[in-house]
Amino acid sequence: MLEPVMFTGGLYKHDLVVELVEDLGGYVLQKNVTQSEVILLILIPSEDKSVLEALIKELRGELVRAPLAGTEVAVVTPTLAIHHLPHTACDIAEYLRRHGSKTNMMGLARGVGREIAQINEYETALINEHDAAVFIFGNFRECIRKKESLYRNITVPVVVTGGPEMAKSELPYAFEYVPSIGRVAHRARKATEIGTLDHIVESVGRALDKTRADITKDPLTTSPPRVMDAVREQVPDAEYSYSPLPIALNLGGVRVKLPYERYKDAVKAVTFDEGVTLGEIATIRPSHMKDYILVRILPASETGYVF
Amino acid sequence: MDPMEVFKIVVTGQEDFGAKKYRELIMDILQDLGLIRSIGRLYVYVDIMEPMFAIYGLLRTGIPPLTVRDVGDVLKTEGGYQVKINDEEHMSDLLKILWGRYGRERVEQPARDIVIIASDTDPSGLTVADLEMEFLQDLTDGLVRVAPEGFRNRRNEMNKDSFFFIAAEETLTPELIAKTKEKIREMQNA
Repeated sequence: MLEPVMFTGGLYKHDLVVELVEDLGGYVLQKNVTQSEVILLILIPSEDKSVLEALIKELRGELVRAPLAGTEVAVVTPTLAIHHLPHTACDIAEYLRRHGSKTNMMGLARGVGREIAQINEYETALINEHDAAVFIFGNFRECIRKKESLYRNITVPVVVTGGPEMAKSELPYAFEYVPSIGRVAHRARKATEIGTLDHIVESVGRALDKTRADITKDPLTTSPPRVMDAVREQVPDAEYSYSPLPIALNLGGVRVKLPYERYKDAVKAVTFDEGVTLGEIATIRPSHMKDYILVRILPASETGYVF
Repeated sequence: MDPMEVFKIVVTGQEDFGAKKYRELIMDILQDLGLIRSIGRLYVYVDIMEPMFAIYGLLRTGIPPLTVRDVGDVLKTEGGYQVKINDEEHMSDLLKILWGRYGRERVEQPARDIVIIASDTDPSGLTVADLEMEFLQDLTDGLVRVAPEGFRNRRNEMNKDSFFFIAAEETLTPELIAKTKEKIREMQNA
């Protein structure tokens, strides 16, 4: 089984880590270089983790488990106005990132108010492209209950956060509810506030585990990291995309950040060692995010094989 | 400890948590904008079933307008006056006022903090900025930030020593405003 981990260390000799991961059959999901430091998000076979640990100890780096690596989470606020940002939304998004997830922040166009809150079809479809969503609500119980209409049609698990203590039964459409982080006008710095952020990460982790469990019932034809590797190799233009993460991983596929019309055929033609092309084992369609390419790997029940 | 003499907040329904949090939130926002010291008493009334949000506040004594004398030292020189600026924050306001009063050709700025005026009239008493006006603008901005974002129908009544701000999702009716004012009066008398 592949285990998600995060390496933080010096830039010097970090390519040894990359080489070792590739030799062991793992994947480097993301590489962030910040001056003389580098952060790598890695998937590594769990039985070989000790070898990687030994090398990283030698390089004086740090290796921690990143339970959310290889997933994309939407952090949704009612709007992008000063009432909701920056404190709560940015704290939650940043905290999820530190645990390895790719986090996208979204503000709804008309998500405000108790009676007037709305979400449109496009926003719902965009959130549904993620693996999980975190909806950030305020301090009033009645408003949180009313705003259920915003996430009722969302098919991915939704973690709702808000101020007051509420029973899960009051919010039947939410995957989980995390209290004590409503609308605040300061940064999370107290131990209790950081603790709440931890609860959100745990809750998102459980939501993703549920999706993973659902996928194992009818496994994907191939794993998303393998698709990512093949696309990176055979569509080299992806590396020249201006996005910080040119190929974003989801639990059920990948998002290639290249214009759909120009590159869809190149992505469809990506061939695996087994002789099948990506077009045969996945649906390739335009993403709701800009004009990117969304690749969704078909399950074994549709293709008839797993590799 | 609250820097205000009185700070009461009432939220209808089972919203004790909301009331407690809004108290912190109002303090945070007013502190960020540097307004808290100018407010003496504050009464907040929220009816979440309506839904509406109202704040009534009493202001501390008025702030006098800023004159040329307050922003720099005025010296009588040969053929005019010289102002040595101490507080650069209001420099642009000062120049605008002097240009308007004496004309551009009579006002000269040989150095960053020196202004020379070629006139016999003393500029010391000229008003540079109306701080009270600026304060009321900042306060309005603060109140809009405090009120929940969805409450887009707002009404703001301000005068020299108090303000009343009400925001709601639905249209503000005279009955609703009168009812809210009555609630706040009850809070004051409680």
